[in-house]
Amino acid sequence: MTALLEVQDLHKHFGGVQAVNACSFTAAEGQITGLIGPNGAGKSTAIDLISGFKIPDTGTVVFEGKQVQGKPPYAISRMGMIRTFQTPREWPALSVLENLILACYEPRREGFWLSLRGPTRAEKERASEQLIRARAILEEFGLLSLRNERAGNLSGGQKRLLEFGRIRMAEPRLVILDEPMGGVNPVLGERMATAVLGFVGAGTSVIIVEHNLPFIERVTDQVVVMAEGRVIAEAPFEQLRGNQAVVDAYLGEMPTYDDADN
Amino acid sequence: MIDYLVSILTEGVIFAIMALGLNVIWGWSGDFDLAYYGYVALGAYMTLVLTIGPPTQPTTYILGLTLPFPIAVIIAIISSMLLALIVGAIALRHLRGIYFSIVTLGAVYVLYIFAGQFVPLFNGYNGLSGLFDPMGDFFHIDFASYGFYYLGLCAVVLIAVVIMVTRLNTSRFGLALRSLREDERAAAAFGRNIYVTKLKAYVLGAGIGGLGGALFAGYLSAFNPSAWSPVETIILYAAILVGGRGSTRGVVLGVAVMVMGLQEATRYLPEVANQPSFAPAFRLILTGIVLVLFIRFRPQGILPERRLRDEDPAGKSGAAAVAEKVVTGPSLDTGVA
Repeated sequence: MTALLEVQDLHKHFGGVQAVNACSFTAAEGQITGLIGPNGAGKSTAIDLISGFKIPDTGTVVFEGKQVQGKPPYAISRMGMIRTFQTPREWPALSVLENLILACYEPRREGFWLSLRGPTRAEKERASEQLIRARAILEEFGLLSLRNERAGNLSGGQKRLLEFGRIRMAEPRLVILDEPMGGVNPVLGERMATAVLGFVGAGTSVIIVEHNLPFIERVTDQVVVMAEGRVIAEAPFEQLRGNQAVVDAYLGEMPTYDDADN
Repeated sequence: MIDYLVSILTEGVIFAIMALGLNVIWGWSGDFDLAYYGYVALGAYMTLVLTIGPPTQPTTYILGLTLPFPIAVIIAIISSMLLALIVGAIALRHLRGIYFSIVTLGAVYVLYIFAGQFVPLFNGYNGLSGLFDPMGDFFHIDFASYGFYYLGLCAVVLIAVVIMVTRLNTSRFGLALRSLREDERAAAAFGRNIYVTKLKAYVLGAGIGGLGGALFAGYLSAFNPSAWSPVETIILYAAILVGGRGSTRGVVLGVAVMVMGLQEATRYLPEVANQPSFAPAFRLILTGIVLVLFIRFRPQGILPERRLRDEDPAGKSGAAAVAEKVVTGPSLDTGVA
């Protein structure tokens, strides 16, 4: 397993609060890596630092062998690392289909002059291929009949699925999912677990921040546990139960698949 | 009567051009820009100083060239775009929403006071005048029929602008821009350089504003600070909001309703004794009422922005869909229409 993402000794403070303190971990290619920890552990800040939405005080983030710390979010995204946010961030006034099509960043076609001149034949072909792919993805997520709907009119769960659809459309090398299960019912949760596993099948490695431990146990290959800004454990989920530091910091009483649906 | 109609229409067409430029900035990109009328004014001023010849005592202004009207208009557009590049580069860097608006309002007031007080620039509060019938001599048009000709010229320019913004709006450029308006962080997460894209839209919008200003100068044959109080921008915003923010057809309709329609509707009000300012005041009150009603009951405007519609009836995916006509409405250069 080669490391797709290597985070080394990341630090970030806000005023007197050391949000991320010497955080280091790796995420392997073709794997699903969970990132868990109590509230305030620095998970969200860590992924903001990795994805460029915040700039680390010190430390390095190496993605596919290139240092990316301090780069702007769009540059990191173009390298193939896409993140989601705790709340679904669809483009509300655009249609569901437009939301999907826009997930593919296309520097040439989005340029001013080319847009003014109108698309060439090759670009039209590319666009129609994209449309067909978008339809197929919408069908997979059960959103096809809603494709002309304003994305802002979707339900919370549908917005989560739309977000997953955008990731499938963009086909990044790595996706960082920030609490994708927030406010999602169990039936939909099952569907989302399948979708997360599907990302790996489509060539996208996954980092997933989540409090829903049964979900983490089910989908992840490796789990990184953070507490107070640092990584306290890095192991497959089943090994964490025996790790006293993790139990003290986060797990507490052992959760089981049945009763831990936060 | 016919002259009157021509002048009303010319004014409407020029305001429609201005509103379309503002719609790029506010309707697509989502930035509530209050400096916009500054770009219109700069376009007008530049057109005048490039065409009316050297100043005579006691007036003073820069340049004082006698360039042909079309060349002056092009230089005027470029000037407006350069000014917008400077203002936009500062204001769009980190500021959004009301903070962006405040900075742009500050910028336009600096410009307004500068143009008024610094007399050597554009002759201060007395302004510039003397651009009579641009290109009238070139086409040998007599004074009586010149109004028709100028209306025609403005209409041709409006059509060109409509074609341009329609193309952009249905292109990936326009779509990406609207994604910035809808959610910037998500747009950045999917690879959009927000600052550069927004700045492009800002400069483009200002260029269209400069074009509107240039035509306005040709129509008025003069320009001074009383012709462009920064409040004028609000009238353009009212037109865009009523017509349909982001919608090209809507904006043109909005100008017809809010600029031309309201002006005409209030023209035949009975005069109130000793209150000569009653009619203009009433017009502003009416504008405000219409605006409030629209924001409350139809915020998307009369002709709302259109979304891509994918009309594939069975929702087929795969090769079968290629052969069918699947996209109507804005074609979004998907190429399948």
